Amino acid sequence: MDNKPSLSQYFGDTEVPPASQFFDEIGTSPSDMIQSVYLGGDSGGSQGSAANLFPQSMTTSFSQLSSAQEVTFSNALPTVSGSTAIPTKNLPDPSTFFDTIGPEPTLGPPKSGMTNPNILTDAMDGLSIKNQPVDKEADRRRDAWIPNEEAKKTLMKAQSSPKGSFFPEREVLTMPGLVLEEELADALQEVAVKYLGVSSAGARGVVRAEHVSRDEAGLRELLRTGYFRAAINLTAVLISAAGQGVGRMHRQTKHTSRTLQLWLTRFALMLRVRLHEPLLKEAEPFGDFGKPDMFYQFYPDTYENRTGSLVPFSLRLLVAELPGHVGKAEEAVDRLYAMIDVIQQMLSNLREGKTEDGTGIITSEQDRAESIRLWTGRETRVLHSIVNCAISLKDYRLAGKILTNLQTQATTPGQKRAISSALCRLWLLAGHVRAARAQLDIAREARHHICPTPDVREYVDLGLIDISNGKYQDAYNNFVKAADQEPTNIMVANNIAVCLLYMGRLKEAIAVLQKAINSDPERGLNESLLINLCTLYELESSKTNDKKLHLLRMLCRHRSDTVPDVLECLKLS
Amino acid sequence: MDPKEVVEHLVALKVMRLTKPALISPKIVTCDSKDLPGNILNNYLKDDATSVTQMETLAAGQFLLLPQSFGNIYLGETFSCYVCVHNETNQPVQSVSIKADLQTNSQRIPLSTQQSHSPTMLDVDETLSDVIHHEVKDLGTHILVCEVTYMSNYSTLASFRKFFKFEVMKPLDVKTKFYNAESDDVYLEAQVQNITSGPITLEQVSLESSQQFSVKSLNEIVDGLSVFGDITLLQPQESCQYLYCLTPKENIAKEIKLLSAAKNIGKFDIVWRSNLGEKGRLQTSQLQRMTTEYGDVRLTYEMLPSKATVDEPFDFKCKIVNASERTLNLILKLRSLPDSSMLWCGISNRKLGPLEPGKSVYVNLTALPINTGLHNITGLSLVDLFLKRTYDYDYLASIYVC
Repeated sequence: MDNKPSLSQYFGDTEVPPASQFFDEIGTSPSDMIQSVYLGGDSGGSQGSAANLFPQSMTTSFSQLSSAQEVTFSNALPTVSGSTAIPTKNLPDPSTFFDTIGPEPTLGPPKSGMTNPNILTDAMDGLSIKNQPVDKEADRRRDAWIPNEEAKKTLMKAQSSPKGSFFPEREVLTMPGLVLEEELADALQEVAVKYLGVSSAGARGVVRAEHVSRDEAGLRELLRTGYFRAAINLTAVLISAAGQGVGRMHRQTKHTSRTLQLWLTRFALMLRVRLHEPLLKEAEPFGDFGKPDMFYQFYPDTYENRTGSLVPFSLRLLVAELPGHVGKAEEAVDRLYAMIDVIQQMLSNLREGKTEDGTGIITSEQDRAESIRLWTGRETRVLHSIVNCAISLKDYRLAGKILTNLQTQATTPGQKRAISSALCRLWLLAGHVRAARAQLDIAREARHHICPTPDVREYVDLGLIDISNGKYQDAYNNFVKAADQEPTNIMVANNIAVCLLYMGRLKEAIAVLQKAINSDPERGLNESLLINLCTLYELESSKTNDKKLHLLRMLCRHRSDTVPDVLECLKLS
Repeated sequence: MDPKEVVEHLVALKVMRLTKPALISPKIVTCDSKDLPGNILNNYLKDDATSVTQMETLAAGQFLLLPQSFGNIYLGETFSCYVCVHNETNQPVQSVSIKADLQTNSQRIPLSTQQSHSPTMLDVDETLSDVIHHEVKDLGTHILVCEVTYMSNYSTLASFRKFFKFEVMKPLDVKTKFYNAESDDVYLEAQVQNITSGPITLEQVSLESSQQFSVKSLNEIVDGLSVFGDITLLQPQESCQYLYCLTPKENIAKEIKLLSAAKNIGKFDIVWRSNLGEKGRLQTSQLQRMTTEYGDVRLTYEMLPSKATVDEPFDFKCKIVNASERTLNLILKLRSLPDSSMLWCGISNRKLGPLEPGKSVYVNLTALPINTGLHNITGLSLVDLFLKRTYDYDYLASIYVC
């Protein structure tokens, strides 16, 4: 929670949160995250060094910005605002890269002005952390991808053509462009103005794209503070400046890892705020990122011998998953399996001592082990996505099969336990209570290797099994045991409240949820919890409006623009 | 929310169906830490109250979400709902009570509990509530009728009613097939099809045999493991096929009359579960088999080998039962048909002597196969001397000759 400081902290008070609060999110290696987020291992450890990368002073500039400056996005060219002291000083001004690209850019030899391709490559890559020395192995590992047969032919041509004589066909090019034209308003602000009036809503600090520097640092600032729609607007500005704005679809353009990072950020945010329709349209020109211009080998003059894809793995995954978010999970599953296919090919290349794409030899054993670890982790991540699609399709057989496989591959008790616990809930969803119970026993067995007594997760799983047997009192008791261990756990409080309702104790259920919100508004004002609470309000009485508006006020005070649909979750008419 | 209601009545009635809650997960969006958003989005995911610690990228959450729609209800499931009456005024309301009934096509079932049925005083902002349960035993339209009574400001009893209509649908389709075996066993094949809109798990499918039969389930392999594997999960429209062997109880098997009268096989008891263990249970009506009409005489083969060697005679037995009401005088005829691959050895036109009703006689037979292949045993007939009627038994059994 600490890394989501409240708005009042940022914009109202003079007190400035410590820099560590801002930057402890930035890890140092991609594998950190794989460990900590995906597999639940406990490698971690290198967070501190990342936090030190940033000067302590940089946060102060924020609160001093005047909000009076009105800049319209359509005609403003992005410039790096002097008020941000983010390490973007190492990043060249984006506009100097891309203003060279005219309305009809041609892919030819690089402009003579860019004499030092290494600096350029360096600048456009690795956007997060610039102070690190270039690690070619890490780059290769991270960007590795095997082009399809069609793309391979074009890439061969690109590599073998004499300098400046390679002119690719239109068909092999990826030609994206923005579709969403209008600037997005702060959704929470809009609802607040409508229901609470301008004066109440005004109490809330509003941040818009013009309040931050118009570059990646500004973008991250908006992300960190939860102004997702403003951040989407800023991605539009930056993407337009890179020549891929509105109306640029189906026209030639220059891709860099920077433009793809911008698209990743944009798509990730659009997904979070559920702008599915424009997102699908904007993602469409990218296809499965299989076109040859998505590979470094396509630009031998710029990147020399560098191989792999410009496309960040997260973007590839996100776009593969997309159909799943609009009710076409089968299509998403197909795309995800296509990814698994490539990843397994790469892993088998690695095991044979070759590089990921099979074109070279890996000499360092550490490099090889590191790469196998990274790609096994990514494979697991994709499998998780397939499981998620299967769950949304209610195809519990497929989900169960994949999870059972992962369970047998689990190497630590922690992993095994996490998967068994997930399987337990999967079988509950499927109504297979006996199997759920069996998985819980496996999870408990694995837990014994970690701690001697049941913890929150185990008590909650036990409670869920009780619910499936219709024993709400038993479930309640288990959830209360979980709450004894973690009194501030929002999920546990929520589950207690749900049980209370089924036990006929509506008033108490409401009280539990309200207390959860008041004790930890940051996390408590969760979309699903609000839906539960408003459902209970509506069941209790016909006069619910005041209570809902109270929640809206709390949302304005504690949350920024992260809840996708405020009206829906508050059930406001 | 309806202003009219507030004006008209001092209390408001709200009803919510309590299907099982759902398990919800956050929207899972992750990035590598080297990506532009760094770990910011990952941390949002980690901090989300609906995500599971250390399994953030799996959408198998622990966070319960209350039902947001009425959903479907199926025969055999339990209809549960929360009935809540709230004092909407700023003074106490006297003598508030709830009466809930369920009206089906055929009957009216009282559902409310004693507690909510007896008049209570409701203080300001207080609620009177009741959780009611009812196992649904009828198909078709059901109407939940909720009646609220309270003391109005004029010290007269006021009341209002609300109606909630829902359709009860059929969850399963059970198709059965019977095979009456020579041995008098009855094999029952049952296809249980999921005709609900979501996946279900068949928790228990059992056949309770009638008094006349004992049942053996043929759906388990050695260690009591189900032939369907660990999971009997049925997606919508999928079916599972079960097989049972029913053996007539000894007292019935002896009496050919009783045997052919034993039509009641038993009934199925099926328990299934769907979302988060929502349970349903159905019993079929008594299943009836088609019994074989044996006529006056019943002839079966026993101890017939399945395989015989060409040009080597083989022996077997033939059982003849008098299924009629009178004593039979029978003649056994053995004819080797022209195109038959089997030649009978022994005496034809043999008199079997008088056979009392219900009694049986065994005859030893020998045949010689002259061709290889799979052959029917043909050419055997019985002649009823009294009625001068001939019974031919040409397709009772076959044998493999090699």
